[in-house]
Amino acid sequence: MRLPRRDGETIDRDDRRTFTFDGKEVQAYAGDTIGSALYANGQRIFTRSFKYHRPRGLSCAAGNCAGCLMEVDGEPSVKACTRTVQGGEVVRSQTISGSLERDPMRVVDHVAGPVTPVGFYYRLGIRPKAAWPHIERMLRRMTGLGRVGEAPPKPHRADVEHRTAGVLVIGAGRSGQEAAARYAAEGRQVILVDERAEYASLAIDGVEVIAPGTALGVYEGRLVPVHADGLMHRIRAEKIVVATGSIDQPLLFEGNDLPGVMTPSAVRRLVGLWSIRPGTRAVVLAADEAGDEAARLLREAGTQVVETIDLRGVRPPKVKAAARHGLLAAVEIDGRKIDCDLLVASAGRQPAYSLLAQSGCSVRFDAEKGIFAPDQLVDGVEAAGSVTGEGAAVLAAAEGAGKRTFVCPCEDVTAKDLVRAVGEGFEDIEIAKRYTTVTMGPCQGRLCHLHSVRALARATGVGEAALGTTTARPPWQPTPLGDVGGRKLNPGKRTALHDANRRAGAQYVWTGVWRRPDHYGDAAAEIKAVHEGVGLMDVSTLGKLYVSGPDAEAFLDGVFPNRISTLKVDRVRYGIFNTDSGRIIDDGTIIRVGERDFLVTTSSGGVDQVYEAFLLWVAERKLAVDVVNVSGALSAVSLSGPKAREVLSRVTDVDVANEAFKFLDVRQGAVAGASALLMRIGFLGELGYEIHFPSTAAEHVWEALMKAGAEFGILPLGVEALKALRLEKGHIIVGIDTDSETTMLECGMGPMIAWDKGEFVGNEALGRMNERGADRALVGFTADDLPNEGTAVLVGGEVGGRVTSARRSAVSGQVIGLAYVPAAIGSEGSAFELDLGEGRRGGAKVHIGAFYDPDGERMRG
Amino acid sequence: MKDLLRPGRMWRTGLPLKKRYDVVIIGGGVQGLATAYYLAKNHGITDVAVLEKSYIGSGGSGRNTAIVRSNYRTPEGASFYQASLDLYDDLSAELDFNIMLTKRGVLSLAHSERALATATERASVNQKLGIDSRVIGLDEVRRRVPALNTSRDVTWPILGALIHPGGAILRHDAVVWGYARGADRRGVEIHPFTEVTGLDTSGDRVTKIRTPRGDIEAGTVLSATAGWSSGICKMVGLRLPMKTYVLQAFVTEPIRPLLVETVVSTQMRLYVHQTTRGELVAGAEAEPYPTYQGRSTLTFIESISRYLVELFPAIRDVSILRTWSGLCDVTPDYSPIIDRTPLANFIVSAGWGTYGFKAAPIVGVTLSKLIATNQVDPLIKPFGLHRFTDDRFISEAASAAMSH
Repeated sequence: MRLPRRDGETIDRDDRRTFTFDGKEVQAYAGDTIGSALYANGQRIFTRSFKYHRPRGLSCAAGNCAGCLMEVDGEPSVKACTRTVQGGEVVRSQTISGSLERDPMRVVDHVAGPVTPVGFYYRLGIRPKAAWPHIERMLRRMTGLGRVGEAPPKPHRADVEHRTAGVLVIGAGRSGQEAAARYAAEGRQVILVDERAEYASLAIDGVEVIAPGTALGVYEGRLVPVHADGLMHRIRAEKIVVATGSIDQPLLFEGNDLPGVMTPSAVRRLVGLWSIRPGTRAVVLAADEAGDEAARLLREAGTQVVETIDLRGVRPPKVKAAARHGLLAAVEIDGRKIDCDLLVASAGRQPAYSLLAQSGCSVRFDAEKGIFAPDQLVDGVEAAGSVTGEGAAVLAAAEGAGKRTFVCPCEDVTAKDLVRAVGEGFEDIEIAKRYTTVTMGPCQGRLCHLHSVRALARATGVGEAALGTTTARPPWQPTPLGDVGGRKLNPGKRTALHDANRRAGAQYVWTGVWRRPDHYGDAAAEIKAVHEGVGLMDVSTLGKLYVSGPDAEAFLDGVFPNRISTLKVDRVRYGIFNTDSGRIIDDGTIIRVGERDFLVTTSSGGVDQVYEAFLLWVAERKLAVDVVNVSGALSAVSLSGPKAREVLSRVTDVDVANEAFKFLDVRQGAVAGASALLMRIGFLGELGYEIHFPSTAAEHVWEALMKAGAEFGILPLGVEALKALRLEKGHIIVGIDTDSETTMLECGMGPMIAWDKGEFVGNEALGRMNERGADRALVGFTADDLPNEGTAVLVGGEVGGRVTSARRSAVSGQVIGLAYVPAAIGSEGSAFELDLGEGRRGGAKVHIGAFYDPDGERMRG
Repeated sequence: MKDLLRPGRMWRTGLPLKKRYDVVIIGGGVQGLATAYYLAKNHGITDVAVLEKSYIGSGGSGRNTAIVRSNYRTPEGASFYQASLDLYDDLSAELDFNIMLTKRGVLSLAHSERALATATERASVNQKLGIDSRVIGLDEVRRRVPALNTSRDVTWPILGALIHPGGAILRHDAVVWGYARGADRRGVEIHPFTEVTGLDTSGDRVTKIRTPRGDIEAGTVLSATAGWSSGICKMVGLRLPMKTYVLQAFVTEPIRPLLVETVVSTQMRLYVHQTTRGELVAGAEAEPYPTYQGRSTLTFIESISRYLVELFPAIRDVSILRTWSGLCDVTPDYSPIIDRTPLANFIVSAGWGTYGFKAAPIVGVTLSKLIATNQVDPLIKPFGLHRFTDDRFISEAASAAMSH
């Protein structure tokens, strides 16, 4: 039923829409909300309450309360009163068992009220202990609002836009519009945001309007996320104008939560926007001019206004609402009973200051007006209109706290509950909030915060000003996870050879932020190729830091535990980076390309940490050193296997003869025509070259090497081959074989340390540990059964360490691995056990040194 | 039932502050209150004042996400937290206040071979100590948590998980209130809104505790101030090896039962569980930079939301209700500091990172013993200050990275 066409209505009577509610078809117009259409169709009970399953209905019609939460197209807890009808929605009621009108759980309201006071659950189910898990399961089944996972989630676009604004105005009421127009006239770039759909067509010169759109919070640096239909505008604003207005506060009386009790703004919206007659017989109780306006609108709409009481300046009457079949049927005012189906009630208006408080502004209690209002604003944030407290005031609640006087309808917290909490010793607002859960429901405290503070103030005798407010926390409106999270993005790094790898059949794996080829179809073949022919691996992920300057040598000597000053030009050396407490951060190589120039490589995941530490150490020591991160600029490949020399010789002008380019030598030259830095190292245990070159030439160099190696059966190598091959050599991988406490001493790298060179990073801690001796050792081992990595090492039946790496050797067929063991058994041949799970144990023996080619003849030859 | 209908007062309020106490505990969080409770109960020491600068439980105790577990990586850590879990298990009866502990289990997802190795290691260490903790395959993960997206078509496919059936969630505030009531009934004085503004020392003793309500003397002073420990210790010239970080969490609207276990993903740096009321509570690891600034950040909820929806597609439309943040004090090895100090009558419990709440009952028992008898319980011995000078760290970094 609609009123005759009215000026200003937002519905389009020529555009009919339908949706279903609990299976029944509902007629609506474009411009309706789910809530307005249901109300127009006579629906009065919209949902049931969280704790007592009391019937609840439209009470604010403005998205400020939880009286109309429904499931819309599978989305739980939608505020039906503000969700615009598109047509075709499947709407279901929630928080009910049975039906909206006949919910068997409503028995809780009738019988359990006296035994379910605030905090009752803290006193129930303690003994016998065995009963509690069953009670808890039962409680779980009884609680919760919306359902999830029953309907397939609707296809939904969620995205993020990063925006800036000269001035962001939040709230498109009169003050907001004025502020927006004023700043636009000054030539500022203005964005105006309002969560109400009726502002969608608002147009102001020079102002971008986002409506409906909700400003969810104000974050550091005036960052405001605005949620508008799946799109998150992340707006950085030079200036923010908060014009969020004020919110009708409910009047506290017995039965104030009944469907049929409404705020004046609900009347204004029902009549003004949607041309709906809110009721047939109404009583109006209000503490500001909104009451008169509501009464006028009601009369226009044909509602019989039986009585209007202006509560200002009169003794607050004793009010009690009575229900029939769950709906308001009459109201008793000071004992006088008036039949009515609509009670418009308001205690006044409280500024909606939450966003201001989030921005850092202070809030004070204005005792004269009875409201909390913003006090000291912060730079760059302004307040306009009634959010400042101008024109707002709220009546104190009448004496007498009834057991059905709801201070917090979302959580079913009554005035009596609050008095009781205070009586128990919960006197502060924050602790009382946690005990009673007042303000913690979906309304975000809009309707209950002020009343709860005032109720506590009265019960404790401490003033509201001293009690203060609870912290205003984002988000201002409950917002779906999917919309907050935005589009699924997997930021990852790819090397310049990513596409070449993919063409070669790479199966990718995440290694830290990198996507790297795990293998190209057959890891075993790749391992075999390195031992018998040749393999090519993309190692562009290695970190590369160019270190140069007069103090470069001294700097590196002060960073690394080994001696760098003896490193000759055109030579490369292995190095470990430690923390000040002597723990391993990362490992890599130091390449001396000139007297004052070095290239330092780090592991794939370690470069950011090492780069940061380098910059800090350079700054702390005031050294003349430049550190440039060239990781992205240079790509690198590792060419390994007995045929590596022959392959390389076909594409380079560098003399690769063994005597001319020895193990750990560095050369500069051309590879496939690209200028390159070549070094001979042997991480994989065979003759090997690591070649660095500009990333722009990456694919060209890769293809040239693959082509040159074709006749030797060259294969691309993935991470799995790398892990297996280096294990044969007993080489550690930082992060796999080390943890946050691993030291060089435990890894048998003590001899690398140049103790006599003076201070270096971690020297003090390492020195102390060296004197004492390490407690544990990272050693190689052979075993009968292949253990999972992480398997516990058992010594004398006790946990004495763990396996960090294990594989079946492609060369010997034996199980080989690395493990932490107690230092006492860290010598060749010591036996220990592995905890294989389910009570099974396996034998293992310590192996010191490489498993494969222990003398390194193959990589030196 | 009588108690249910007429609960009576939880604790006395508005007590005057005396000039001297046998023991003064700085910090009215769960650890301070638990210590006060066990001082009175186990050792008969009741001349105790707990000084709290805000309301009780206002710091980490009321901001943590109420998960208790013992599946730690080191034997020292695992035994210690198991002792705490055992106390928690009987705490509702002990305090005659239902802390609503429910052993729904903690499931730590492994998205990589490396994570499986860490899970295997933790399971081995745990099982040796009699703690129920084991690695399960993808099939069992699917069976236990049907809502989880276990397909390969995600950023980080799930390979398996560490399941810890003894891990539980509970109502954190109830623990604070239960201990406070128990301590109060035994004569301990709780003074909320009483900030310690200074500590005077003379020789090797703390001689005076300064508060806006007057100065106090004490036989023994305990600092149990978590994120604020650096500040309190600075008052006596003591510098602890730790930094303070901000940690964030959020809660959604209540939904019908979806999750039983707490689900942790170190890879995604998040964890989530569903409370008895039906809310999903999710948190992340600490922010990467030290700060005392307690504001929530947008980046945090964005990234956690995105990953949560990827893990549980069905909760896409569930709304976030509230976000909050708290401070946590982190040591170099992610293990706590519970020890006497160079000041003879000053004891600290600090550096708890994200574990302070889980440890509260056992901290209360062992610290009250230390205060009353000067004996260091073997359970807390590894967590002394000496380990930083001896370079003997108790590395919980691997299980700390995220697993709250």
